[in-house]
Amino acid sequence: MKKDVPDRYETSHEDARPVFPWWAGGIGIGLVLIVAVGLVEPIGVSGQYVVLDGVLLHSVLPDVASRSPYLAKTAQGWTLATYEFFFVLGIPLGALVAAMVTARFRTRVVPIEWKRRFGSNPGRRLVWSFVGGFLLLFGARFGGGCTSGHMISGISQLAISSFLFSAALFISAIITARVLYRDGGSQC
Amino acid sequence: MLTLGLGLALGAAFGALLQLSGASSHTKIVNALRLKDLTIMKLILIAIGVGLVGVHLLDLFGLANMKVKELYLLGIILAGVVFGVGFAISGYCPGTALAACAEGKPDAWVTVVGGLCGALVFAFMFPEIEEHLLVVGRYGPVTISGLIGIHGLWIAAPLGIVCIWLAMRLPEPGGA
Repeated sequence: MKKDVPDRYETSHEDARPVFPWWAGGIGIGLVLIVAVGLVEPIGVSGQYVVLDGVLLHSVLPDVASRSPYLAKTAQGWTLATYEFFFVLGIPLGALVAAMVTARFRTRVVPIEWKRRFGSNPGRRLVWSFVGGFLLLFGARFGGGCTSGHMISGISQLAISSFLFSAALFISAIITARVLYRDGGSQC
Repeated sequence: MLTLGLGLALGAAFGALLQLSGASSHTKIVNALRLKDLTIMKLILIAIGVGLVGVHLLDLFGLANMKVKELYLLGIILAGVVFGVGFAISGYCPGTALAACAEGKPDAWVTVVGGLCGALVFAFMFPEIEEHLLVVGRYGPVTISGLIGIHGLWIAAPLGIVCIWLAMRLPEPGGA
């Protein structure tokens, strides 16, 4: 028999050790989607970044915010009191409770795989995190959804755009990760 | 008020599941993209498998509130490519970054701030992008089943089973 769970990961690192096996987490997420589709609508996250942008901008510079039809349409009524926004608000809340309850709340600036490849300079990691986040949401809004909205909700509805988006996303992400982490030469 | 509470509860369940199954971990995501640890792929596949069957069963009884995203060939591919680069660099996606924020990861906070900026820039570029890029190969919100003209369950059920089977077949980490 195999050894116990913690030893199975060659790099025993605080944030790499899930409490739930993959199937439990996956089935759980599938069930959340089914309940959401049955009661309200499919799940989605990335649009709410636009909503928060819109509401914040509208509260400081209402003229500028109103000038973007996309912003006005997405952040309808310039309010955060919507089902969609509260769903997204729930994500960090649920994650915080889960991390606390299982005593896995740990902070660090530079993740272990990044440190191995690029060193432990926190500034460097943070600058690239910003760039990554920027591209992430630019791409998500461009495509009309992210991992939740396109991949999980979209494919579950057999949407052709979601199959295409997910395929492009994974091909691009896998190539980028190979280049970034210089795995190209090895045989893994 | 009720819908806000429901949103918060479903979102919290989603966030807790992401956290507990390691989907919010930078290490897990990056190693999935490096094809060293396929746990996240397995998780996504089984979630989609369950979703496919469940959503279309609901639809069979007229209980599904579907919201299908629009297809515009060129734009969707470009968007997926941009998203993929951001995904590999940050090691988070828009949802898991929020979960990682809550477990005390400052690089996830910065990812979210970067995301807010990226979303804002996109919002102001949208008229140009729509005019030039979204018109190429624009087909509206099409689904595979809609295209063929049969009920979705006929495709969703076998495809869902394939997803679940594939999820079980992909190797667990540590095997390699």
